[in-house]
Amino acid sequence: MTTNLIDLQYADVIMATSNMAENHPVGFQWVMKAKERGAKFIHVDPRFTRTSAAADLHVPIRSGTNIAFFGGLINYAIQRNLYFREYVVAYTNASFLIDPEFKTATDLGGLFTGFDPGKKTYDRSSWKYQLDGEGNPRRDPTLKDPSTVFQLMRRHYSRYTVEMVEKICGIPKAIFEECAKLFCGNSGPEKTGTITYALNLTQHTTGVENIRALCMLQLLLGNVGRPGGGVTALRGHANVQGATDLELLYHELPGYLPMPLRDAHPDLKTWLDRETPKGGFWVNRPKFMVSLLKAWYGAAATKDNDWGYDWLPKRASADAYSHQHIFVDMYNGIIKGFLALGQNPAVGGPNAKLARAAMQKLDWLVVKDIFVTETAEVWKAPGVDPKSVKTEVFFLPAAPAAEKDGSLTNTMRLIQWHEKAVTPPGEVTSDAEFVTSLASRLQKLYAGSKKPRDRGLLSASFTYGDNPKEPDMLLVLKEINGYATQEITDKDGKVVYKPGQALNTFAHMTDDGKTAGGCWIYTGVTVEGPDGKLVNKAASRKPADDKDYLGHGWGFAWPANRRILYNRASADLSGKPWSEKKKLIWWDPAAPGNEPDKKGKWVGLDVPDFNPFLAPDAKNGDKPFIMRTDLVGAFFGPLNDGPFPEHYEPMESPVRNLLSRQQSNPVAKVWKVPDQRNELAEVGSTKYPYVITTYRLTEHHLSGVMSRYLPMLAELHHSHFAEISHELAKELGIDNGDRVTVSTPRGKIFVKAMVTHRLKPFDLGGRKVHQIGIPWHWGYKGIEGLPGSRGDITNDLSATVGDPNVYIQETKAFLCNVQKGEV
Amino acid sequence: MLKTPGWEWMIVVYFFVGGIAGGAYFTAALADTFGTRRDGTVTRVGYLLALPLVALCGILLIADLGVPTRFMNMLRVFKFWNPMSIGAWGVGIFGLFSVVSAGLSFSERLATLRRGVGLVGMIFGFFLASYTGVLLSTTAQPFWGEARLMGALFLASGASTGMAAVSLVLLLIGGATGEGWRKIRWADRSSMVIELVVLGVFLAALGAAARPITTGHFAPLFWGGLVGAGLLVPLGLDIVAHRVKVVGALSAVLVLVGGFVLRYVVLMSIQS
Amino acid sequence: MARTLAMFTDTSLCIGCRACQVACKQWNELGQEVPEWTGTYQNHAHFTDKTFRLVRFIEEPKPQGQMAWLLMSDVCKHCADAGCLNACPTGAIERTAFGTVNINQDVCNGCRYCVSACPFGVVTFNHDTGTAHKCSFCNDRIHNGLGPACAKACPTESIQFGFRDDLVAKATKRVAALQAMGFKEAQLYGADSQGFLGGLNAFFLLLAKPATYNLPDNPQVPQRNVVRDSVFSLGSALLVGLGAIFAFRRRGEGKESDHA
Ligand SMILES: Nc1nc2c(c(=O)[nH]1)N[C@H]1C(S)=C(S)[C@@H](COP(=O)(O)OP(=O)(O)OC[C@H]3O[C@@H](n4cnc5c(=O)[nH]c(N)nc54)[C@H](O)[C@@H]3O)O[C@H]1N2
Ligand SMILES: Nc1nc2c(c(=O)[nH]1)N[C@H]1C(S)=C(S)[C@@H](COP(=O)(O)OP(=O)(O)OC[C@H]3O[C@@H](n4cnc5c(=O)[nH]c(N)nc54)[C@H](O)[C@@H]3O)O[C@H]1N2
Ligand code: SF4
Ligand code: SF4
Ligand code: SF4
Ligand code: SF4
Ligand code: SF4
Ligand SMILES: [Mo]
Repeated sequence: MTTNLIDLQYADVIMATSNMAENHPVGFQWVMKAKERGAKFIHVDPRFTRTSAAADLHVPIRSGTNIAFFGGLINYAIQRNLYFREYVVAYTNASFLIDPEFKTATDLGGLFTGFDPGKKTYDRSSWKYQLDGEGNPRRDPTLKDPSTVFQLMRRHYSRYTVEMVEKICGIPKAIFEECAKLFCGNSGPEKTGTITYALNLTQHTTGVENIRALCMLQLLLGNVGRPGGGVTALRGHANVQGATDLELLYHELPGYLPMPLRDAHPDLKTWLDRETPKGGFWVNRPKFMVSLLKAWYGAAATKDNDWGYDWLPKRASADAYSHQHIFVDMYNGIIKGFLALGQNPAVGGPNAKLARAAMQKLDWLVVKDIFVTETAEVWKAPGVDPKSVKTEVFFLPAAPAAEKDGSLTNTMRLIQWHEKAVTPPGEVTSDAEFVTSLASRLQKLYAGSKKPRDRGLLSASFTYGDNPKEPDMLLVLKEINGYATQEITDKDGKVVYKPGQALNTFAHMTDDGKTAGGCWIYTGVTVEGPDGKLVNKAASRKPADDKDYLGHGWGFAWPANRRILYNRASADLSGKPWSEKKKLIWWDPAAPGNEPDKKGKWVGLDVPDFNPFLAPDAKNGDKPFIMRTDLVGAFFGPLNDGPFPEHYEPMESPVRNLLSRQQSNPVAKVWKVPDQRNELAEVGSTKYPYVITTYRLTEHHLSGVMSRYLPMLAELHHSHFAEISHELAKELGIDNGDRVTVSTPRGKIFVKAMVTHRLKPFDLGGRKVHQIGIPWHWGYKGIEGLPGSRGDITNDLSATVGDPNVYIQETKAFLCNVQKGEV
Repeated sequence: MLKTPGWEWMIVVYFFVGGIAGGAYFTAALADTFGTRRDGTVTRVGYLLALPLVALCGILLIADLGVPTRFMNMLRVFKFWNPMSIGAWGVGIFGLFSVVSAGLSFSERLATLRRGVGLVGMIFGFFLASYTGVLLSTTAQPFWGEARLMGALFLASGASTGMAAVSLVLLLIGGATGEGWRKIRWADRSSMVIELVVLGVFLAALGAAARPITTGHFAPLFWGGLVGAGLLVPLGLDIVAHRVKVVGALSAVLVLVGGFVLRYVVLMSIQS
Repeated sequence: MARTLAMFTDTSLCIGCRACQVACKQWNELGQEVPEWTGTYQNHAHFTDKTFRLVRFIEEPKPQGQMAWLLMSDVCKHCADAGCLNACPTGAIERTAFGTVNINQDVCNGCRYCVSACPFGVVTFNHDTGTAHKCSFCNDRIHNGLGPACAKACPTESIQFGFRDDLVAKATKRVAALQAMGFKEAQLYGADSQGFLGGLNAFFLLLAKPATYNLPDNPQVPQRNVVRDSVFSLGSALLVGLGAIFAFRRRGEGKESDHA
């Protein structure tokens, strides 16, 4: 996320599109603080939830229609001139001219220029700026040229009228207008607003474009980089941000470096050429990549062997090894062994029935977890004869956070250290102990190998500290932070770093092997103190106060401990805060500069996300979005499915797309799975007429292992249930508390009906569409004496389909049927 | 949202028995003081009946506690305006009086002492019969908490059931030949009349608040068992045929049934 | 006596997360219960012997398809004039130096009079221990300089802990601010020490009428009638006594022959 939860309290309007009060209750305190200060709070959700209960306005939206909603707001802001023009002109690519070849979905029936129907991909060659003689993008600061991004955007969203929003999203016109007035009305120099999102936007076949639509709205209103503004991404698991930064992902290496593709990136040079842009901060990518390889392969990584680039595993295709892909491969017998370290795909993954069937085909399965999960007992799943499952399953008990040192990175990019509170019992080990001991055992097994491909494994060191069995986690953090591999001197020959000394900033990383660093954005989290001891800033605990409301003394926020990204945008072109009320950083012409004879520096309430000595009137001194090649915020931002978000219906939808003949995302991924294991309901299916969404409850955690197994939490909900409107319940003769059957083409489950006023049918321009909701925390294991701690698996209903950019599942919007009783 | 205390069977019996014990004792004491020597059987039967009953009260009271071994904690403190607190003390003191009076009832020599003891003990007898009602009427429960005359009603019922019990015993031991029998039936009649009047005022004052007993599940028992069979019928029988011993006995039995039904419907109607 | 402590539960800040409910269970080691189907998220339906903090979920459909979901973390009110305390015959229920109402488990003998005497249905009898249970205002914690576990766990400061007079001042400001924001029915419940039950040491800010939350409008201490009821009993005693005296004073009855 670009901002920081503490800063939420200074927003004038907050629009939660996720269920923040229920899923991020601690962060939600800042929304409550903002409300106490008089901010307006809007909640956009198909259901009336505990977040809605705290809201000034609840906006009911049919699941899967988020782009129509945001598009409607963008259109509303443009039509009514509610956007922050100065900001838009100066800080975004709105004024840039686009190739005249390029046409938007308004002109091409829901598609953009370059669609190849056969391959279901776009040829993106026309999705580019017009360049002037010097290779710089051509601009029209009046925004009038029909080829400007602004005009293209205006035209693209001109179809997204209030009436259209009502018909697609089911949001009554009056409510949408009130929402638009509230949110778009709080824009300009004196006002800011923020939007929170999480899975409500991500888990769709338009997931990434949903978020882009949100970002565009925020850019249009001048809300990015400013106090009380920003894009508030609310991450999931306690350390999912850390897992993303360190890239426990299929498509990236630590620090957001693209994971090499087998065909596209045969060697380091190609990788560097293709992945290093010409402008913006990513020009430093080679330094980060080489430092990463040095951190992993140590002395064995040399310039001559491309720093060990060949030893990196390569992706076979863009979606290869993404979550859903793995289970399809497993089911197809391609993957034969599986290590599940802290994951419960028997319950949590989409199309969980497929996932269980896939795991039941494995040769071996290792589950390392703090509880014996459904995955650990996948051979005992209901409806399965354990004798028929040949998979050899190993369960290794894992130490949870309290039993080990380490850090967690939360949604604010805030790295926080935790200390071991108790020693794990018996043979329980931490994940780090497990991984390092597994690696060193493998190294022993491969010790004699002369094969070039094994050299990487054999060169890597998995020892951190004196005890090879127990890695010293602070040293792991130091390796992630980065250190000098040899003495580094400045141009006067003065020693800047001794060998092994922790780097203070990623600006000191080099691409010549003199520095090693596991994740460049984390650099600065551990530094060497004056006494030569390592200082762990993740463990610092100075709370925020009046002088430092962002709490820079608490933990360490990457990058460089800045709390609000792109904060140069909080000042106007000349470097002055847009307004006194919304000041964050500003240019102080009197402050001492970076050289004795120079003056001027960016100062203020946060660490500048900018070259601190680059004056506003210097070249690029007024371009805040330093991570982008063109240094400006992007309205026009090519993704696999288009440069502007366009509304498509979910893969399974009760209605035809009203905006174009293009029903669903034309480039979305639908995996073909044998044995009818991934059938989809047709558009407007009469067999599966209701929209279903799946979600969380405050009282439970994910697949439920960490809550359902704990009596005090498990008893907070009686049992697995489905939320159903009174209207639908009446149609189906269902009473509150009745057992009902919920089915999709993939599976069916039995749950209790919770009949509630908090769900209402949607009126799509005269057509009534019912939506139901089901939490997904239950599985077949639970607590003795607490029958409700077990329940059917919601994910037996969901499908194996994915967004075309990151292949995330579509578990927020699909179709189902509901019947009374267990049928 | 209110919570009921779960005072069920044991307490129903306790309230019932306590009423009889108190009623029997003060009947005995009054007979002793105001009656003739020929009323001596009534006095003796009354005292001797009160003794085991009050003992039973103690047992029931203790047995119904969550932690019976901690009964004595009731005697740690004395809260003057707390029916439960003074109730516990009261039962104990009344028990002592019952022992003494029962003992003295065999001695004509100590009659003066017995009368003196009886007059004081009688106060505790009245107390035992009525405090249970006040205990209920000083809770936060609907109906109970609104019933200002609960204590008065329980007292009248305690008197009538106590007298009925004494007269039955008289009949059983063959002591129903003397004028004591007629006097006690007479007294019982007057108690019944008073109970009816109190009940009438009780219901009128409660109005809708009395619904838990006057309507619904418990209504047949209340109207049929208490008002009809427990009061009107025995009163009628007694007035019409009070000279016929069997009829008198029958009416005494009915009075006892009515007394039990009263406690039962009052306690159970809002607790089940 | 030390300054009176209080808990102020501001339902306008409550997000129904039930951290308070769980924190209470955890701190007080209250253990597992079997949940009830209440038709909503709420569990349990009422306070139990193991649930001292109970978050209530009240769905209120409103005109034009709108609705309100009132969330309220309910608890023992620690009444200044406490029915339970008045009722307790053993002295197990005591008023602490901080003004809170606590049940001493070592003294309670399980008579359950307190259960019937609480105007809010708070105290609950536990069949295993044979004693009565309710929120202790974290007696152990406040005597060791800590606030209640539930207040500590609350992420939104919906439960605030402190000296009563400070909290009442804060609450008064808050309710005025809410009314200014358009919450017409916002009101304090039990803050007024001149009001019912002498004021509640756990008082509330409500967003609707007390009845909407199933709270009595004007709870009364049940013992207020004890004198009157006793006098009536005395009257009844006099009547039956007179009747009996009259009966036994009648002479000559014995002269009549028996009609057996
Ligand atoms: N208590 C608790 N907290 C958690 C978790 C937990 O399991 N329990 N999980 C954590 C994790 S891993 C994550 S990723 C986050 C997830 O946080 P959220 O994204 O907030 O979680 P969900 O409950 O899955 O979904 C949020 C809401 O999206 C709504 N919704 C469905 N479709 C749409 C739509 O098209 N548009 C909009 N606007 N809303 C829609 C649903 O009704 C639901 O209320 O929570 C984290 N926090
Ligand atoms: N239908 C539907 N499906 C969904 C979602 C949805 O909204 N709808 N949400 C998706 C999302 S966002 C997520 S994040 C996934 C979550 O899916 P999972 O990650 O599979 O679910 P968890 O229950 O969090 O599993 C984590 C496991 O890690 C264990 N664990 C905890 N700490 C440690 C540790 O220190 N070491 C080890 N080794 N194990 C540990 C826990 O006991 C638990 O079993 O589910 C996804 N699935
Ligand atoms: S469980 Fe942890 S991460 Fe989730 S809301 Fe509570 S404190 Fe935050
Ligand atoms: S709320 Fe009930 S239990 Fe709590 S102090 Fe008042 S009377 Fe006692
Ligand atoms: S149950 Fe215990 S706490 Fe309650 S009144 Fe009786 S002795 Fe006192
Ligand atoms: S004050 Fe303590 S005992 Fe009372 S509800 Fe809060 S946590 Fe529970
Ligand atoms: S912890 Fe606070 S916000 Fe959560 S339910 Fe309790 S009172 Fe409400
Ligand atoms: Mo997640």
